[in-house]
Amino acid sequence: MIRYFSNIWQSITTLLIGLRITLVHLAKARKGIVTLQYPEERWPRPERNIGFSHDSYNVIRSRLHVDIDDCIGCLKCVRACPVDCIHIKTVKVEKGTDILEANHIGITSNGTQKRLLLTRFDIDMSECCYCNLCVYPCPEDCIFMTGGPNSSKQEIDYEFSEYNRSDLIYRFAKVPKDQVEKYTPPPKEKVKIDVAG
Amino acid sequence: MGIETSTLDRSAIHGEEMVLNIGPQHPSTHGVLRLQVLTDGEIVTKITPYIGYLHRCFEKHCENVTYEQVIPYTDRCDYVASMNNNFGYAVAMEELMGIEVPEKVHHIRVIVAELNRIASHHLAIGTFGLDVGAFTPFLYCFRDRERILDLFELLCGARLLYNYIWVGGVSHDFPIGFVEKVYEFLDYFEPKIQEYNDLLTFNKIFIERTADVGVLPADVAISYGVSGPNLRGSGVKWDLRKNEPYSIYNKFEFDIPIGTGAMGTVGDCWDRYYVRIRELEESVKITRQALDQMPREGDVHAALPKKIRPPKGHVYSRTETPRGDLGFYIISDGKPKPFRLKLRSPAFTALSCIDEIARGWMIADVIAILGSLDIVLGEIDR
Ligand code: SF4
Ligand code: SF4
Repeated sequence: MIRYFSNIWQSITTLLIGLRITLVHLAKARKGIVTLQYPEERWPRPERNIGFSHDSYNVIRSRLHVDIDDCIGCLKCVRACPVDCIHIKTVKVEKGTDILEANHIGITSNGTQKRLLLTRFDIDMSECCYCNLCVYPCPEDCIFMTGGPNSSKQEIDYEFSEYNRSDLIYRFAKVPKDQVEKYTPPPKEKVKIDVAG
Repeated sequence: MGIETSTLDRSAIHGEEMVLNIGPQHPSTHGVLRLQVLTDGEIVTKITPYIGYLHRCFEKHCENVTYEQVIPYTDRCDYVASMNNNFGYAVAMEELMGIEVPEKVHHIRVIVAELNRIASHHLAIGTFGLDVGAFTPFLYCFRDRERILDLFELLCGARLLYNYIWVGGVSHDFPIGFVEKVYEFLDYFEPKIQEYNDLLTFNKIFIERTADVGVLPADVAISYGVSGPNLRGSGVKWDLRKNEPYSIYNKFEFDIPIGTGAMGTVGDCWDRYYVRIRELEESVKITRQALDQMPREGDVHAALPKKIRPPKGHVYSRTETPRGDLGFYIISDGKPKPFRLKLRSPAFTALSCIDEIARGWMIADVIAILGSLDIVLGEIDR
């Protein structure tokens, strides 16, 4: 009998202790303590001056962007990517010269002379796992995630939703469509068939 | 008056057993898990967990990517404690390659791993409360977990899948002011543990739902290979951070909380839950010590060749994640890609004993027992 009433008593007291916390919380609640009305309000993102002692840290995960004028086509980002979602095709051109009809600038902003013309530079953002591994090895710092420390180069964009999955493939190469053919090397005549493979 | 029940033929009222499927899409299975429950009325007579709904060929994938590229995949195994998974892999790789990492890296790793442990236990506590019907603590836990995720976002840009701890170091140093922010968080967070206790731990209704339910005796736990808080809840003092210290855990003072059966039997759901609450305090302690002792200057990468190519050989190394012993078995044949990589998942072993401990309980208790085991399906299926 005593046990029965002590159980009831304990239930009531412990419930009240819990309720006190929620009431205190309710009294202290201010706007924006937890819930944000998303499309109207946005959670503050670590901004441009987040204070790194080293400016090569790429500490943002959003949409990838490539400054195609600076890309030398070294394929380091392709090799680093664990899901193979970067696709690059290059053609050998004369070192360091501008090719106007293909929108090709011969020298990068770091002063490197380009040997390759990029006819294709696609990143499939629907496959990307936002691991940032492609950003670190780039010798020209031209592939990066938008926003954060890179805000001066490209504004942040992390909500790039599309109706169609193929719209998530971002094409960065600037060679005009009709010129691509001209720069694509002719396919090799004899295709070697590897029987054993 | 009436029929005397004792004279009834029991077999006449003993109906057929019913098969009940819980999941794959069920909020209390913490992921995509199907439990096939054989019930006799309300009593569970057998549980068969069916897994594989989240299988992503982690181990096979790893054989096709380089050693650095494995790290984003380990993130996705236990996605609520990615830092700890990165940590486990990095420790295994460093053992295989015989690398010594700088002192500062050790401290950074311990700090982020313990913060991630706090975040992971928040999820475990909150969803456990949710499973047994307490909605409020869940929101409180998420409010505080969010702060840790914000810290991680400041640190590496990502909120869940960090890819921060790399082989031979971490991807980059702490930002300026990060250490102060972590101190600030710890100061904010420590009193909140009392709040959880008031809200949930010592609530009579919660105790009635969990104490004495789903008792996992120590010998059963050991024979199933259960580890982590589930094992400690059964009263076994076993924590890799103390028993087989890796990284620099031997430098820190902390206790290993174990289940004492304070509310019922040793190894019941409440004990497993309370071990997690106490571990929050211990993690705060470790983080504080690591922050105090961390060298402020220094490099965050060990000297490494450009391409990671471990020598021929194999290694098995295990670390303590929020769910238990996470083991990595890596065989290297001297090429830049692993020959074989096996992950030993603590959540898998925890799930394997569910039939043993949930048999004979009611269906509603099965949900509580499953919640108290704190499984993550990403790690079970890999
Ligand atoms: S962020 Fe990772 S997955 Fe995405 S393109 Fe770069 S390397 Fe590939
Ligand atoms: S690593 Fe940089 S420079 Fe090289 S191909 Fe990729 S984006 Fe271009």
